Amino acid sequence: MAVQSDAMESAGPYDRAKALSAFKFGDVTFYWITRACAISVLLILGGIIVSLIVGAWPAIVEFGASFLFTSRWAPANDPPVLGALGPIYGTLVTSIIAMVIAVPVGLGIAIFLTELCPQWLRRPIGLAVELLAGIPSIIYGMWGFFVLGPFMADSFQPFMIRLFDGVPVLGTIFAGPPSYLSLFNAALILAIMVLPFITAISVDVFKTVPPVLKEAAYGVGCTTWEVVRNVVIPYTRVGVIGGVMLALGRALGETMAVTFIIGNAFRITGSVFSPGTTISAAIASEFAESDGLHQSGLILLGLLLFILTFFVLAAARLMLMRLEKKAGN
Amino acid sequence: MNELSVSMSAAGGPVPSVVLPEAPAKVTARGLNFYYGENHALKNINLALGTNRVTAFIGPSGCVKSTWLRIFNRMYDLYPGQRATGQLMLDSTNILDNKLDLNLLRARVGMVFQKPTPFPMTIYENIAFGIRLYEKISKSEMDGRVEKALRGGALWNEVKDKLSASGLSLSGGQQQRLCIARTVAVRPEVILFDEPCSALDPISTAKIEELITELAEEYTIAIVTHNMQQAARVSDKTAFMYLGELIEFDDTNKIFTSPSDRRTQDYITGRFG
Repeated sequence: MAVQSDAMESAGPYDRAKALSAFKFGDVTFYWITRACAISVLLILGGIIVSLIVGAWPAIVEFGASFLFTSRWAPANDPPVLGALGPIYGTLVTSIIAMVIAVPVGLGIAIFLTELCPQWLRRPIGLAVELLAGIPSIIYGMWGFFVLGPFMADSFQPFMIRLFDGVPVLGTIFAGPPSYLSLFNAALILAIMVLPFITAISVDVFKTVPPVLKEAAYGVGCTTWEVVRNVVIPYTRVGVIGGVMLALGRALGETMAVTFIIGNAFRITGSVFSPGTTISAAIASEFAESDGLHQSGLILLGLLLFILTFFVLAAARLMLMRLEKKAGN
Repeated sequence: MNELSVSMSAAGGPVPSVVLPEAPAKVTARGLNFYYGENHALKNINLALGTNRVTAFIGPSGCVKSTWLRIFNRMYDLYPGQRATGQLMLDSTNILDNKLDLNLLRARVGMVFQKPTPFPMTIYENIAFGIRLYEKISKSEMDGRVEKALRGGALWNEVKDKLSASGLSLSGGQQQRLCIARTVAVRPEVILFDEPCSALDPISTAKIEELITELAEEYTIAIVTHNMQQAARVSDKTAFMYLGELIEFDDTNKIFTSPSDRRTQDYITGRFG
């Protein structure tokens, strides 16, 4: 800035033109640097997709579409039989359960922090949530393995199994025996891991609601709950859904903690208390000792995860567009 | 008219002794003080808003006029560290009473803000929302109430064909009238206007001013404004506030033609503020 104003003030017309041309050179350079940065993202993305497809090609040729619908995973057979149904099922089930738990709790924390929390409690809770986000996933994995898993297997799971014994659908979902390596425990860990994302983003977007809009809602006689439900959440809907989708993306791809606690079983039993596997857990636990078609199958799993995540984001976009249309914007 | 004026001590220190105006008082402040934390923002305010009258509050920026309005519906409660002492009576209810149900109070005392604040929902819902908080009524009855409120806000003819459009799709002036309609819809007794036209163009401003005059037939109105012509046009009584004190409170005509306090005179003639 200082350079610019000096050049403007002290110089005659000629110098001024020269100074301006110097700025112009800077502008052009700046344009190309930023453009190169932006394009590099596209290149990296394209490179990853291409290398995934190349790596997965042998498996695609060998199994074709049946890869998606086979639940058997027998890499040691000759020839190997590989089916992705188990990992896909596990990925979807754990992520859905995780979101069902984490979204209400995360939003609840965010609403409490922004609307109800007394000043002195705000910082401790906010800090705790941030620290939760900072815990490495391997630690969640160990904690889940040694503490949460056994605890759930001893208390919560037997309770649910007894409660829903004989009930048609729920009886299958919550079927025994309890196991500390299970889809449900993995989902619970995932829920804890994505909670800070949902909370942090919700808090940030809740803070963007103009105070006067909230005052207006209080002004027609709303209670805090009514203000939150009818003004704060609709006003911030896009941001909140964005945060939830980010969290879902993380839940779908989370590897380390899930690998610890999910049991790495490829069969599908229908019970959330039985061991299972997810795409990323399957890759992490088998990739190091795989070769040939087995390895190619694992890369194909990775490609599927990539596509799955892409579709989640696309669906989120679509949903947002629909919502906006409905709200009349 | 003389007995209505606020008498001032010779030194200029405020000794406001308000004599009741001819309209029966709807809201009466007695010895009202307001604090932001340690900061004594409003000092010993005594005045009364006449029923079905428009009372304007004028004064330079930073003399807590907006805060003053936010006492009437206890909106300051939303912010920690703000408190009021003294008495502010709405009929026979003390607004400052800690046990008062704030939601009911705010249904009785509506507020329109500086910037239009339509809720993020349809035009219809913007109105129906407030009504639904207190009344369970049928769809057809609700349609009637919404229409009546929108007519009350002088907006019906402009929006009757697009009630399901978003409230945010309206122009600034329309949004502000929507907010007035929304306020009217819950049938308040008092309506507070916090610089309702400061974000609007002259035509929208004229419409809102006309509306305020009409609304005064049914409601008691308090308006804060920086625009002295506006105060002169819409109000029956005007209060001049300066540095947290009520300097002068009198008939609008009197304030703008022959104010009794020097500072009022300086302000309305544009010598400061």
